[in-house]
Amino acid sequence: MSVSNSQLLPSFKRPDAQVAIRRAEGYQANLSNLIYETLNEFGVSVRGQVVLLKANFVGPDPRGVVNTHPAVVGAARECFLRLGAKEVIVADGPALERDTEGILEMMRLREFIGPLAGSFVDLNIGDVRCVPLRTRASSLRELYLPEAVLRADFIVSMPKLKTHHWAGVTLSLKNMFGIVPGSCYGWPKNILHWAGITRAVLDITSTVRPDFAIVDGILGMEGNGPIQGVPKPCGVLVMGNDPVAVDATCARIMGLVPERIEHLAQASYLLGHLRDEKIRQIGESVASVRTPFEVLPSFRRLRAGGRHRGHSNCLA
Amino acid sequence: MPETFKTAPPRNGKARPERGGETSFREEICLPFLLKAQNEDGGWGYRLGQRSAVEPTSWTLLELASLSDSSAFEQAAGGAINWLLAGQLPDGSWAAYPDQKEGCWTTALAGLALHAHGRAQDAVAKGFEWLCDAWPGEGALWRRLQQRLFARSNAVRQNPSLRGWSWTPGTSSWVEPTAYTLILLHHLYPNELPRRVEKRRRLAEAMLYDRMCPGGGWNSGNPLDYGVAGVPLVVPTVWALLALQDHPARRENQASLEWLARACETMQGPASLGLAHICLAAYSRPAGSLEPTLRGLYAKNEFLGSVPVAAWAAMALGPECRWLSWQRRGTGQP
Repeated sequence: MSVSNSQLLPSFKRPDAQVAIRRAEGYQANLSNLIYETLNEFGVSVRGQVVLLKANFVGPDPRGVVNTHPAVVGAARECFLRLGAKEVIVADGPALERDTEGILEMMRLREFIGPLAGSFVDLNIGDVRCVPLRTRASSLRELYLPEAVLRADFIVSMPKLKTHHWAGVTLSLKNMFGIVPGSCYGWPKNILHWAGITRAVLDITSTVRPDFAIVDGILGMEGNGPIQGVPKPCGVLVMGNDPVAVDATCARIMGLVPERIEHLAQASYLLGHLRDEKIRQIGESVASVRTPFEVLPSFRRLRAGGRHRGHSNCLA
Repeated sequence: MPETFKTAPPRNGKARPERGGETSFREEICLPFLLKAQNEDGGWGYRLGQRSAVEPTSWTLLELASLSDSSAFEQAAGGAINWLLAGQLPDGSWAAYPDQKEGCWTTALAGLALHAHGRAQDAVAKGFEWLCDAWPGEGALWRRLQQRLFARSNAVRQNPSLRGWSWTPGTSSWVEPTAYTLILLHHLYPNELPRRVEKRRRLAEAMLYDRMCPGGGWNSGNPLDYGVAGVPLVVPTVWALLALQDHPARRENQASLEWLARACETMQGPASLGLAHICLAAYSRPAGSLEPTLRGLYAKNEFLGSVPVAAWAAMALGPECRWLSWQRRGTGQP
C-alpha cells in the first residue's frame, strides 16, 4: 500500500477528490483503453510495484450479475502491466463458497487473465499475519490478514455496482470484506457481522485502504443484492483514487443519497470525501448516467426524499 | 517420473461403486504432491511452501489414514500427528494457525484426523470437551432478546433456538463447523451418548435440517433470504449430508442427494467435484467417472496449488474413507 494513500486524514485536511465516470455499453467494449486512459489521467504510477486487484467473486454466477465481470478484471490487469507493474495479482476470498476455483472456471476468468495458477490468489487460504486495526469502530482490535494483501504495494478494489441487503450498497469499501481469510474466520466471515458490518468495514478499510477503485457498473444489480437481486444495466465504469468518493458517486448514480449510507457517512470522517462539492467528476456527469436502483423496503430511506434519522460518528 | 505408492485395500472388503481403475491420478499426482508439500515441522500449509496450518494438515492426515505399506507415508503421518499435538492449546482446542491463541472450527478437524489414526485419544477427548462447552453466540440471552425485538421478520427464516457450532467462538452456528463436529461426535460416541452430548447432537442435527434450502441442499446456513429461497452450494451440502448419514431415508437427505447428483453435471471446481463424489459414495450412489474430469481440471489450474483440494481429490479417488462411516444409531448398520 502506498503510505500516502493509507493515511487517515480528516476531510478538511484532505485535498479534493476526483472521480471518473466512463460510459461502456457492454463487456465487449474496449475496456482496456478506457481504464488505461483513466489511470494516466490520475497519474497512477506503479512501475516495479506489486499490484493486487481485489475483485468481487462471490459465487456461482450464471447470469453474470453477481461477480465483477472477468472482462473488467482482465482489462485492468493488462493496464497495470502496461504501466510497468512488476506483478499484477487478481485476488479475492469469497465469503460463502469454498470452491474458489469452481467460481473462477464458471466465470471463465482464465480466458481473460491467462493461467490462474500464477495470476490468482485465493485470499481465504494461505499465510496470514496479525494486524492491529487502525481504528476502533468495532470491538475487533486486530485481524489476521493475508500476506498477499499485506505485501502488495498498490491495492485496487474492483467491486460490482450492487445493492446489499445488510449494508445498502456493496461498493469499493464493502468489497474489502473479502480480504479477511476464511481459514481463520470461516465461510461466511461471521465475526465481521457480529462486530457490525458498518463498523467492520471502517476498521478494515482504515487499515488496508484501497489505493484505487474500479467499479464494474456495466451490468449492476438492484433489489435483494448482493446475490439474489435483479440485473440492472447501467453502462458505466466508475474509477478514482479516493474510495469514499468513488462509492459516493456510485450511490448518486444509483439514485441513493450517500450521506444516508451508514458506512459511507462514517468513512467520510477519515477515509475520503463524500460531499458532492469535494468531488470533481471527470468523464460523464452523474446526471447523464443516473439509473435509479430498486432497494429493499428497509433501505428506502437511502433514496432522496426518504425519511432519514442521521448517524452518529463511530470513528470519533 | 513421479514415485508411485501402494494404497490400502478397500475397508471391510467394500469398494466404492463405479471406481474401478481410478487410482492412477491419485498415485501419480495427488499423493506425491502432498508428500512434497509437507513442511519440515511435520505440518502442511494451504499451498506448497506456506507455513503449516491445522486445516490442511488435518485433511492430509485424513487422506493418509487410508494408506498403508509405505514407510514414507507412515513417517509423514507421524510428523503431522506430532505437529498437531504440539499445537493443541491448553484448553484442548486448536486454532487455525499455530501462532493464534484462540481455538476455533479447526478443533473438530484436528480431532477427526488424530482419531482416524487411532492416536492421542486423550488429546482428542480434550478437544471434544472444548467443543461441547463452545456454544454459539446466538444462544445468549441478550442476543435472543435483540433478535426478538429488532429482527427484520422476513430477512431470514431460521429457528435460533436450534444451535450447532460456529466458525469462531461466540458467533453464530453454521452448517460446516456443525457438520465437522457431528462427524467427530459420531466416532467418539458410537453407542450411548452422555446426556449433554446427546443434547448437542439433537440440537445440531435439528439445526442442520432447519437450515436446509427449500427443495434440498445447503448453503452456508441461510435457507431463505428476504423471502427468496437460498441457493444451495456443493461443499456445505456435502458436509451436512455426511453428518446426517444416520438418517439416510429422510426426505431431506434424499432431496439433497438428488440436488447434489444434478449439481455434479455442471461442477467445474475440483473441490466440489471431489467432495461430491466422496458424499455420493458414502450414500452408495453412483457418481460417474471422476478421474478424467479431475485430470482435466488439474491440467488447467493445478488445483491452484491447494493442499486441501489435493487431499480431497485423493480421498475421492481412493478407498472408502473409514472416517466417514460409523455404526448408524438404532440400526446396527455401518
